[in-house]
Amino acid sequence: MARVELIAPQDAPLTARRLLGDTPGPLPATWAHVPELLAVTLPFVGKVFGASAIDARTKEIVILRASAEMACRYCVQTHTVVALDSGLSAAEVRALRGESDLAEAFEDPCELALVAWTDAVAAGPRPISEVEAEAIRAHFDDAAVVELTLLVGATVMLNRYATALALPASPATLTRLAQEGLA
Amino acid sequence: MKGLAAAIAEGRVSGRLWLYPRYDCNLACAYCLTESSPNAERRQLGADKMVEIARQGRGLGFTGLGLTGGEPLLDRELPALLARLTAILPTVVNTNGYLLAGERLEAITALADRPLTIQLSLDDPEPEPNDLLRGERSYEVATRLIPELVARGLHVRVASSLEEAEPGRVERLRAQVLELGLGPDDHFVRPLVARGRAVDAGLGVRAVLENLPPELTLTANGAFWNPFAPTVRGGRLDIDLLLTRTLLPLSVPVNAMMELVDGMPAGNDALLDIR
Repeated sequence: MARVELIAPQDAPLTARRLLGDTPGPLPATWAHVPELLAVTLPFVGKVFGASAIDARTKEIVILRASAEMACRYCVQTHTVVALDSGLSAAEVRALRGESDLAEAFEDPCELALVAWTDAVAAGPRPISEVEAEAIRAHFDDAAVVELTLLVGATVMLNRYATALALPASPATLTRLAQEGLA
Repeated sequence: MKGLAAAIAEGRVSGRLWLYPRYDCNLACAYCLTESSPNAERRQLGADKMVEIARQGRGLGFTGLGLTGGEPLLDRELPALLARLTAILPTVVNTNGYLLAGERLEAITALADRPLTIQLSLDDPEPEPNDLLRGERSYEVATRLIPELVARGLHVRVASSLEEAEPGRVERLRAQVLELGLGPDDHFVRPLVARGRAVDAGLGVRAVLENLPPELTLTANGAFWNPFAPTVRGGRLDIDLLLTRTLLPLSVPVNAMMELVDGMPAGNDALLDIR
């Protein structure tokens, strides 16, 4: 059970209703408590996590990996489904979740470098070494590095938020995870 | 803020900026929108913050203030606050009048030369039905105070909240208010609104965005569309008509309100005339 109320659209502040839509997820349903924050956070998250110059598969590698590193139950459950829908295999998902060997699931050195970069950025309060930075720059240009690094940071922010407030995954997500054997 | 000032001048937005100094009250009216009572959560706004809101409000184009609640006079320092607020903008303060006695009454009387209006409630021309809704002695308090406050040089107005248009009741109320020494412009009749405790009592008409006029209202819990918006039911604050949690700078809630006002179709007048 979430630690704050998830606001239903019909109870939402009038300044939040247009942004929430008919079936808001747990994140916007909590942000609706503070509509002026919802108004800036939702577009920000939509831009960072949504369609961009970087393909969905690449972004989901970052999101799922960071969420697993941060032990965010809600984000791991939710983004396991999104990752599968973005073309990752069940084996790749398990590896990103730390349940199997990454090198066995991923062959592309670019994607392995991305996982390593995600781990380094999400790991916590320590400097990022020049060696680690060179490893990601070998595969991605500056714009992509900026976007992917911001994606790691935004994911970590939401990981901590969802964990602190014990946000629940949707029933549909839990059903899908069971069906995929990834519960 | 040119947009707000223009909207006020055009009558699209109320020039009065409402404040909820507190939510607790010495009474517990049957239809109270905020479930106010002596035991209600106080949710106090704070005097200095209200003065800053008033100062910024004047700068943005508001033309008056309104204090409601809760019973503002529970705060012994209210007269001092009113002295500060009326130096900034004309102010209306809603009170049930029970505490307008002794030192408080003298302190309020000392503000008679200020742009201050005392707003009392009288909901029925007969004592019994009035007190059934508003509490024991409320009829006696209001009808005694109105001429006394007028005699002390204070500007008084009366609000009457009516459940239904009982034949002749409005006319009798209007006649009574005139007899008590007020002009017709100092008495307004409005419908009971089905929010807060009124819902449980099966009273009032449904109020939604479309039939409530935009009158920015600030509470300790945020800024709302209208003074009938920050209601409480079951101890829980209704936030369906919340604009922002941010109060200051005042431009934040004002901008949020104006976005909605500007998005309304022309001629979208509020239906309930709840003022």
